[in-house]
Amino acid sequence: MKYKINFNLNNEEIEHYIDPNRTLLNMIREDFDLTGAKEGCGAGECGACTVLLDGKPVNACLVLAIEVEGKDILTVEGLSPGNKLDELQISFIENAALQCGYCTPGMVMTAKALLKENNNPTEEEVKEALSGNLCRCTGYKKIIKAVMDIVEKGKH
Amino acid sequence: MKNFQYFKPKSLKEASEILSKHKGKAHILNGGTDLIIRMRDRIIEPEVVVDIKEIDELNSIHLNKHGELIIGACVNLNDIAHNKIVDENYDFLSKAAHMVGSSQVRNRATMVGNICNASPLADTATPLLALDAKVLVYGAEGKKEISIHDFFIWVRKTCLKIGEIVIGIKIPSYSNDILGDFQKISRRKMVDLSTVCGTVLKNGDDIRIALGAVSPTPIRLRKTEGFIKGKELTEEVIKKALEVAVSEISPIDDIRASKEYRINMTKVIIKRGLKKIRQKNLALAEG
Ligand SMILES: Cc1cc2nc3c(=O)[nH]c(=O)nc-3n(C[C@H](O)[C@H](O)[C@H](O)COP(=O)(O)OP(=O)(O)OC[C@H]3O[C@@H](n4cnc5c(N)ncnc54)[C@H](O)[C@@H]3O)c2cc1C
Ligand code: FES
Ligand code: FES
Repeated sequence: MKYKINFNLNNEEIEHYIDPNRTLLNMIREDFDLTGAKEGCGAGECGACTVLLDGKPVNACLVLAIEVEGKDILTVEGLSPGNKLDELQISFIENAALQCGYCTPGMVMTAKALLKENNNPTEEEVKEALSGNLCRCTGYKKIIKAVMDIVEKGKH
Repeated sequence: MKNFQYFKPKSLKEASEILSKHKGKAHILNGGTDLIIRMRDRIIEPEVVVDIKEIDELNSIHLNKHGELIIGACVNLNDIAHNKIVDENYDFLSKAAHMVGSSQVRNRATMVGNICNASPLADTATPLLALDAKVLVYGAEGKKEISIHDFFIWVRKTCLKIGEIVIGIKIPSYSNDILGDFQKISRRKMVDLSTVCGTVLKNGDDIRIALGAVSPTPIRLRKTEGFIKGKELTEEVIKKALEVAVSEISPIDDIRASKEYRINMTKVIIKRGLKKIRQKNLALAEG
């Protein structure tokens, strides 16, 4: 049986019908074609599926779609309006903080949530915040630098 | 994941009725960080899932009128770790909450889910055992309190009966300043399960030791505590205490570590904790 849910997805009010056994990750990718969030492990280990739920980063693979009734979801696609990139996305590009890019949407969303809570984190705090996001390519240095650049420029 | 019926009751009564009606076929959904994985892997296939997060009274942390700290069942681990009352009074409990998984996991996972899951390595179990916490339970006969010492029965098994819901955790009010030390030894510094974890706590002259991942449930080391009682924490006493501790645990070999390694890490955790207490005692003696 499908259940009706209402939620806000990237600043748009949505009414949707869903089976309870679908995850949030599965719903945003399959039903809304928002394929930024990726499935790496499907078990909360890698952070590739990170989205913001009421402003807080969560693993979308560990949330049931039906649990988001009445909540706000922000995915990497909703980070900036139109075709403009968010400053964090620009910083990732400028710092070459990605190779294959699989981890990037999750990294960006986790970093975004950190900067919203703490606009002056130390490098240690950035590393800790990103400790639930795995990257198999970059070795992390450039990712940390991309975030620290924003902090240092005090742009946000 | 097999499909199921989903309920989101607004009251404990309603939740308990749904659980009782569907007997063993219904499972409680809290943060879901354990449950959803087990459903995904088809280890469990509930017909009914009861999401308890909309029940208002399960969502707060507060001191009650007796000065006891109440941690609601649905408060997530980040909110517990960052809570001022928790951090000021029991910083080792904050630390244990903070050491679970990643920030993404802690935004969902709860302390009550952590103990209800009853893993031998549950990180928040040892500070609760050391604090003599109570588990507040709602069931068909109303509310009751269960000592945390009676709560864990076996690996993944608690004493909860069908239809019972944990409302929260109660930490007794202590007149002394508590000095506690939580330690987690794992292969990776962050986002890893404990190879061994433990809490060493001093309440007045009382020293308490609790360990995780060294027996089928998290445990208190009563013999070791008894051995230390009334003794000055000299090198010799600490050394003997570690021998007593080893006699009280029954660690196993698994993917994370060997039995021998766990025995050694048990000693490390207790030694560090006792030395921290000894330092504090010295500082107090010097005034
Ligand atoms: C990537 C990852 C890393 C992790 N790292 C750690 C770690 O470092 N340390 C650690 O200890 N754990 C870790 N865990 C395990 C897990 O996150 C914790 O056990 C968590 O605290 C469980 O809480 P929850 O609210 O998500 O529980 P849920 O998954 O919702 O529930 C767990 C179990 O408890 C039952 N339950 C929940 N609430 C109640 C209630 N109020 N009354 C009765 N029964 C209830 C459920 O029915 C279920 O059986 C990790 C998990 C993941 C996915
Ligand atoms: S896919 Fe969700 S954490 Fe890996
Ligand atoms: S860029 Fe490939 S996983 Fe991070």
